[in-house]
Amino acid sequence: MIALRGRSAAFSVDEPLGRAVWMIADRRSPAPRRQGMAFLVEGDAEPPGGFDLYLVKDVERAPEGKPWIALPPLLQHLSAGDVISASETGEHLRVLWRHRSPMNSVLLTERCDHYCLMCSQPPKEREDDWLLDNARELIRLLPRSTPGIGFTGGEPTIYGDRLIELLGLCRNLLPHAGVHVLSNGRRFADFGFASSWAAVRNPRMMVGIPLYGAEPTLHDYVVQAAGAFDETVRGIVNLGEVRQRIEIRVVVHKQTAPALPEIAEFIARNLPFVEQVALMGLEMIGFARANMDDVWIDPTEYGAELNEAVSLLARRRIKTMIYNHQLCLIDRELWPFTVRSISDWKNEYHPECVECSVRDRCGGFFFSAKYKVSDKIKAIPADEAALQPALLDI
Amino acid sequence: MSKFKEAEAFLPDEAEWELLPFRFERLNGRVLVTNMAGEHLLLGADEFDRLAHKQLPVDSSLVRRLRAKHVIRRPGDHAPTTLLTLKTRTRYKRLAHSTGLHIFVVSLRCEHSCPYCQVSRQSRDTDRYDMSLETAERGLDMVFRSPSPAIKIEFQGGEPLLNFGLIEEVVQRAKRRNREHQRNLGFVIATNLALLSDEVLDFCARHDIYISTSLDGPADLHNKNRPRPGRDSWEKAVEGIRRVREALGVDHVSALMTTTRASLDRVREIVDCYLEQGLGGIFLRPLSPYGFAVKTKSYSAYDAERWMDFYREGLAYILELNRQGVEMTEYLSSVILKKMLTNREPGYVDLTSPAGIGIGAIVYNYDGAVFASDEGRMLAEMGDDTFRLGHLATDSYEDIMTSEALLAPLEESFAPSAPMCSDCAFEPFCGSDPVYHYATSGDFVGRKPESDFCRRNTAIFKHLLDLYENDPFARSVFLGWAGR
Amino acid sequence: MTAEVEFDAASHSVDAIQRAAYRFSDRFSVELSTGGDVHRCLLTAVGDTDVDALVPDFRTEVLDQVLRERIRAETEPIRTMILAHAFSRTGVVDQQGLS
Repeated sequence: MIALRGRSAAFSVDEPLGRAVWMIADRRSPAPRRQGMAFLVEGDAEPPGGFDLYLVKDVERAPEGKPWIALPPLLQHLSAGDVISASETGEHLRVLWRHRSPMNSVLLTERCDHYCLMCSQPPKEREDDWLLDNARELIRLLPRSTPGIGFTGGEPTIYGDRLIELLGLCRNLLPHAGVHVLSNGRRFADFGFASSWAAVRNPRMMVGIPLYGAEPTLHDYVVQAAGAFDETVRGIVNLGEVRQRIEIRVVVHKQTAPALPEIAEFIARNLPFVEQVALMGLEMIGFARANMDDVWIDPTEYGAELNEAVSLLARRRIKTMIYNHQLCLIDRELWPFTVRSISDWKNEYHPECVECSVRDRCGGFFFSAKYKVSDKIKAIPADEAALQPALLDI
Repeated sequence: MSKFKEAEAFLPDEAEWELLPFRFERLNGRVLVTNMAGEHLLLGADEFDRLAHKQLPVDSSLVRRLRAKHVIRRPGDHAPTTLLTLKTRTRYKRLAHSTGLHIFVVSLRCEHSCPYCQVSRQSRDTDRYDMSLETAERGLDMVFRSPSPAIKIEFQGGEPLLNFGLIEEVVQRAKRRNREHQRNLGFVIATNLALLSDEVLDFCARHDIYISTSLDGPADLHNKNRPRPGRDSWEKAVEGIRRVREALGVDHVSALMTTTRASLDRVREIVDCYLEQGLGGIFLRPLSPYGFAVKTKSYSAYDAERWMDFYREGLAYILELNRQGVEMTEYLSSVILKKMLTNREPGYVDLTSPAGIGIGAIVYNYDGAVFASDEGRMLAEMGDDTFRLGHLATDSYEDIMTSEALLAPLEESFAPSAPMCSDCAFEPFCGSDPVYHYATSGDFVGRKPESDFCRRNTAIFKHLLDLYENDPFARSVFLGWAGR
Repeated sequence: MTAEVEFDAASHSVDAIQRAAYRFSDRFSVELSTGGDVHRCLLTAVGDTDVDALVPDFRTEVLDQVLRERIRAETEPIRTMILAHAFSRTGVVDQQGLS
């Protein structure tokens, strides 16, 4: 588990830092760029002058007369190209961007109008617009070649037009980045907002919207909001009308698993214009832990439903992906649909996995799996792994 | 201290339900319900009664199924009507894109003499039965007046290769004209392949032309159906298929079978024959009651019940092959399954409503007469001009497409307003065939209780539904066919 | 071969009976006469159909047609609205959502 925030034990910042967001630079970074850069002191050489902030791994190396922050042990993994935010005094640090990570998600707010039973990022009601401001600064610091960026919450669309502006900025400054925004989709029921979204005109942008039922009662219960299903579906339709790229996400747990085939059929028949469907395994953190009795289910118990759901979608040419499921817990026929999707900072493995011949193809576990994991985890011997995927592979 | 509400908190306060449009049929103690978009569900008789009388609780697994399939909704739910609208619109989208298929009968000459042939043959030696270039040009005028973004020009006959020179002209002129119109333009030649030459193959390769041929099954069956001097129709067809695959590509040749009485006991052999020739699928076709078939009484030999056995056995065999890993498709089922399992309309002209005559496909005869369909042209050959829409030399596109000869059968046969069809739960899977009904019963609508078209289709729908609901492997294969 | 079947006029419309009769027209013809409280149907076999055996099916079908009539009436407005929107040239949703 890679830490993403920390508290500095030692820092020397005489005046409040003029900015919150800093990109980390080191000796190899291009010399002229200084604005918004924090120099990472490593090794014995004298650090160059001209930076507004210095980060040190070893307090002994802290430069005299310059603002510096010592990285706590958990944040020693940081390196040039990463981006952090620092509190005014420099005490509190958050990692906003890990350049080595294949996909970074930027938190825009912790506010949300839903209260999902299994929410991995439990909502908070306080105003946190500064997260949006940080995101803007982050985008300005990232290299033009950045290949991908994700935006999450809470519910990002609470920002309305300011979100649209941010996405426009992102499109203009990071023209090669695939942009993936997570949203409950309800705001798009307002056709004007869906149009504004479309007006960003970023062909690399996609919105991921969860659906937890084929009808209102189940979905509304899972997200704990009456009227959610109706609005979300209308939002998805509007996005379809303005030809936006959509991913439907279904978190598979105890409540949704029995209805998985119905949900798949509903999507296939009513929302066939979506670009892809992601069937996702449960992350045992946040509310999922609190509601474990209501949401935990061993994935082997919904094998039939998962098979059926994939068949109903994939056979009708809707791109279907299975996220966050360990390979040993699902049918061999479904392996071609699996994606190694756990963000690298959450990745862990079970002792059983040491001997497993397909460990490199498997997504592994969330760190939070230590709280609950199937007892059916089993290493796959090499000869079994060689079996060809069956007819379902289209 | 939990802020989470129980599932009960999200149930409606009252069991206030609105019905959305649906139709039903009783099937062996259960009830088939189809919604406005053609989505189906099977209910127990009791469940159906509760639905019919709206004796439904605020929540139950039945209620959830009915809501998910847009058979009921709560007042105030917007999504169901939005989605039904979307699905209906998708289903009828093709109407704005008439006419997709333009058939040019370039020659009536043919050297085969098949008893069931819908095309009246004339002998090989006269040129009186070839289409002229002038007529073909007028045909192309009609073609590009059609709004359809995708246009397929199909050359038929007789044996169209007997007038190959005209085919070359039409293809080249069509492509030239298309530089302005920018349609997705495709060509097909429907030929018995006996006259296939390297010159023809070369031309087809250069212009990306597809070949459609006839293959009735094993040699003895095929040759019996298709007499030609030399008695080698099958050998020529098979050799032709091989040559086309190798010269143009495996997907550039398709075969159509015709079913005769002799075929009815041999479906497995016929499927095997298709498999051997490397064809990826087969269309299990009923015999149609037109042309020489009626004259030579081979239609009267046709037995609807035996054909159903033929179809069921053929489909079962094809599913068995799929189980063994052979990806073979049954195309008739595939057309119907698309209508059952998706919102798309495959546009198979014999199974659409409004009918495919004129608006799905149109026929330009060698002499310039314009017909609403192949079969309509056949009736004219037998003296009945009912489906003659006009003539290329004297009538404009508007004259032809708004003629009474076209509009009357379209309107009268429109299933959602036809007796029995308008109530039928299978209607979304079915179509109107005004030409068939006119030929067999004298009017465009026909009397469905007596209609073999109706009986056959109903039996097929029931069979496919039965397999879909009860055989998981068949279901997965069917979903794949529907999704193609 | 013939059979007689009666239906209470108040709860079985002529239209429903006619639609049911149509479905059986390959097996028997139906002559309908109305007098007072009942509709009287005279079923006459086509060919050698056993009309008596089909009477229960006919009754069931008439009831189903009565049901279809009610469903049609109840869902006609919403069906018309859906078709109108489906065939209109504007976007599917009237931008405020269909109701």
